[in-house]
Amino acid sequence: MVHALEPTARHPAPLQRLARMVAVMRHEPALAIGAVLTLAFAYLIVAPVVSILLQAVVVQPGDSARLHQGEGAFTLYYLARAFASRMSGILLWGPLVHTLTIAAGTVALSVSLGVVLAWLVNRTDLVGRGWFATALVVPFMLPTWTFALAWTTIFKNGVVGGQPGWLQAMGFATPNWLAYGTLPIIVILVLHYTPLVVLIVGNALHRLDVQMEECARILGAGPRMIAFSIVLPLVRPALLSAALLIFADCIGEFAVPYILGLPVNYDTLSTGLYRALSSRQTGVAAVLAGAIMIMGVVTLMIDLRMMREARRFVTVGGKGGLQRRQSLGRLRHLAALLPAAVVLIGVALPLLTLFLSTVMILPGRFTPDNFTLDFWIGSNLHTVALRNGILLTPEFWAAAWNTVRIVGIAAAISGTLGLLVGYAVLRSPVRLIGQVLRQITFLPYLVPGIAFAAAFLSLFAVSRGPIPALYGTPFILILALVAENMPFASRSGIAAMTQLGREPEEAARVAGAGFLTRMRRIVIPIQAGPLATAILLPFISGIKGVSLFVILAVPATDVLTTYSLRLLDYNYDQAANAVVLMIALIAWLGTVLIQRICGTGLARGLES
Amino acid sequence: MPDILLQGLTKTYGKGAAPAVDGVSLTVPHGEFLCLLGPSGCGKTTILRMIAGIEHATGGTILMDGEAVDSVDQARFVPPERRRVGLVFQNYALWPHMTVARNVDFGLRLQNVSPAEREARCRDVMTKLKIADYAERYPAQLSGGQQQRVALARMLAINPDVLLLDEPLSNLDAALRLEMRAELRRIHETFGTTIIFVSHDQWEAMTLASTIAVMDRGRLQQVGSPDEIYARPANRFVAEFIGNPRINMVNLADTPARAGESVAAHLAARLPQAAGASVCGIRPEEIRLVPEVSGDALCVTVAGIMPTGGSWVIELAHGADRLFFSTQSRPKVKPGERIGCLLPDEALHLFDAEGRRLAIPGYGLCEAA
Repeated sequence: MVHALEPTARHPAPLQRLARMVAVMRHEPALAIGAVLTLAFAYLIVAPVVSILLQAVVVQPGDSARLHQGEGAFTLYYLARAFASRMSGILLWGPLVHTLTIAAGTVALSVSLGVVLAWLVNRTDLVGRGWFATALVVPFMLPTWTFALAWTTIFKNGVVGGQPGWLQAMGFATPNWLAYGTLPIIVILVLHYTPLVVLIVGNALHRLDVQMEECARILGAGPRMIAFSIVLPLVRPALLSAALLIFADCIGEFAVPYILGLPVNYDTLSTGLYRALSSRQTGVAAVLAGAIMIMGVVTLMIDLRMMREARRFVTVGGKGGLQRRQSLGRLRHLAALLPAAVVLIGVALPLLTLFLSTVMILPGRFTPDNFTLDFWIGSNLHTVALRNGILLTPEFWAAAWNTVRIVGIAAAISGTLGLLVGYAVLRSPVRLIGQVLRQITFLPYLVPGIAFAAAFLSLFAVSRGPIPALYGTPFILILALVAENMPFASRSGIAAMTQLGREPEEAARVAGAGFLTRMRRIVIPIQAGPLATAILLPFISGIKGVSLFVILAVPATDVLTTYSLRLLDYNYDQAANAVVLMIALIAWLGTVLIQRICGTGLARGLES
Repeated sequence: MPDILLQGLTKTYGKGAAPAVDGVSLTVPHGEFLCLLGPSGCGKTTILRMIAGIEHATGGTILMDGEAVDSVDQARFVPPERRRVGLVFQNYALWPHMTVARNVDFGLRLQNVSPAEREARCRDVMTKLKIADYAERYPAQLSGGQQQRVALARMLAINPDVLLLDEPLSNLDAALRLEMRAELRRIHETFGTTIIFVSHDQWEAMTLASTIAVMDRGRLQQVGSPDEIYARPANRFVAEFIGNPRINMVNLADTPARAGESVAAHLAARLPQAAGASVCGIRPEEIRLVPEVSGDALCVTVAGIMPTGGSWVIELAHGADRLFFSTQSRPKVKPGERIGCLLPDEALHLFDAEGRRLAIPGYGLCEAA
């Protein structure tokens, strides 16, 4: 017989409670994982960020004589110099204006263009919709500086030495405003980021329940009314999110202004930071890094606020399988010109330009005798160095192997860590650990790569405690890459673990599986798809990345990006462009691979 | 030797929050088929998860075969993987990347059972649960009922000491529910395992369990056989929670002066012994209709007749009061008709102001038993 007993509620003593906690937590590996990860990221992420911020208010090596203070003493000199001195116009305000102009211009143009394209591709009967949906995303897979190099190939003028641009070579003097600075940078960034708007807004349009529009139609609303009072308000959160993402990315953009601004002393905050670092003004560099970080934080706070508001719309559960498409009538052919133009300018033109530049001896001369494949596969060329074509040069293959090895290892580590972060955040019985991990892993997103690299350099260049000096080894690059990839990796890890839920793992526990068995047999196999994406996406962005390598790589750890930049510096333009094309090829192949593995992974990953 | 013993089991989520489970003490002997029954949010699933070890208690003790598997006082906690329990989740939680066969033999592989024996045991369980034909399919290719049988087979394969089921019939359609119900009873008989299941559905509880533990707001309200729970509810909550259509409750506390104007007045006049009672309940099927208004009968008007498929619920009006009467035979009365109704003494359930059952000889069913 079953019988109820009287409740016996008692309050255990503190010591007993501790013992009890230990007894329970011993079987919660998420707690230990969370604690270890928190410590690791405190060292890999928080320490560099704090150290770089500290450098802004501490006397830097070499400055003690000028400041009459000991090295390491507190000083406001760098802040004053950056914000309120005769130099501040050049150091801070000028670059700040440039940065904001570029970011604002890029956001405004790419959002307007992207929304129109997203609507055309997702909601109309445009000719070749399916093809455009894929083709429009390609510019986002290419490194930004592919476009920048293509631009200089065409528009470069006599202001800078080396081989002239095509137009210059053909006798047209390209004005400076067309060759360098604000205009080309904005055009290139718009081309690069419009696909992001198409992806995010397109996704939102896709999820939108068609019944809501139909309902408005039944009540008598016209297409314009529906667009502005139903669709736009519901897509607005996605739109704003895309805009803020692009804004934050533009502020930290380094490669494009490096190629199109630096030659003519056109500085943005990130190139200014690079210049300050290379002229050993670490204090000022720290102030600039701080400025970029603050802008990133503010943008992100706005984004978080918007997201919270957007959550009110979460009920927009789109079951409506049937997608109604706006008929464009005879315009469906004409309207295709817009996406076609974007694909032409954003993909075909730059790639073709770059490719042509690698098979032409002299720029801009389109005669048969000027074409050669020597820069790819030639040997015993009459040059000082690089006497073989790129594909026959051992340095190229060494750099390629280095890239794949370093970036690959870093991507694998960050993808795995991302999944572990997701596990710890969702499973940790101590809420605080989850929240701290969530925030820490997102921190690198706010720090421009170049500032992060600088911080890594100052932290890990010399041996500290048990960790030996890492500068000159691949380890510093791997660590920096892992840290920089954590925002994306952790977000996708958390998203994947949320989707998995607790129960499959709990069922395995009940069936008798310990932690390792559960990870090996249940969690990782189910998460194979997301894990592959979480490894491949950082791999691609790592291959395209410039800012970390520019600071942290040395000839021994040469990667494709630094190799191509060095070739560029020595005016081996054709070879440099050939290397860039190879990078673009690897990046594109990787992206195709991701999409094979998990259909919409890219769009989903970008939005989370 | 009792199999599972809960002593003052308590679970609180976060400081200051009301406990989800509040000092529950319960003994479940070996071979028992027990249902934890209660409205959603009453803590029944939390108890199930604590027995499985997926949640840990914040107060009290769980003993299995005399060994404390979770004890706040003794600072002991045995993780689920070492408890020898089987838990079938409400949504089954099958592993989507494994075939049915792999799902079922997962636990045996962990126990290092020899391949031949593993094969034989899996085959046996799958045959008994009629899923052997789907062995090579993936969970996504199965219907809800088949998925549930796989979830069940997965746990039965490891031959657990206790089988825990979370709302075992709730996700199934009507035909499948009946089939599964029979299946669970058969499993209980053939495997002889202790089964504890959670339900918010009294039909599920009544038809399956040999013992029901009714819960509300984290506390145990009554433990007993389905019959006992129904016929002798320990308190007002149990009386009102069990039974469909719901028990008629008459508030005796605010009896108006004029007798005959309300049911309460009618009862008060007839039951001087029940002076301490504040509420009186009578089940719809215990009411008797009589053709004419006699001395003991209450004069009522037929306010409505609702057929419920094989039985009928008749709404009876007496002044502002409403009583529901249910019957298995086709009613001969018509709406608007005035008739008499009897409320037999032995069918009345009396509760005091706190809702506790008042034991007064002569009132309430099974009092003599």
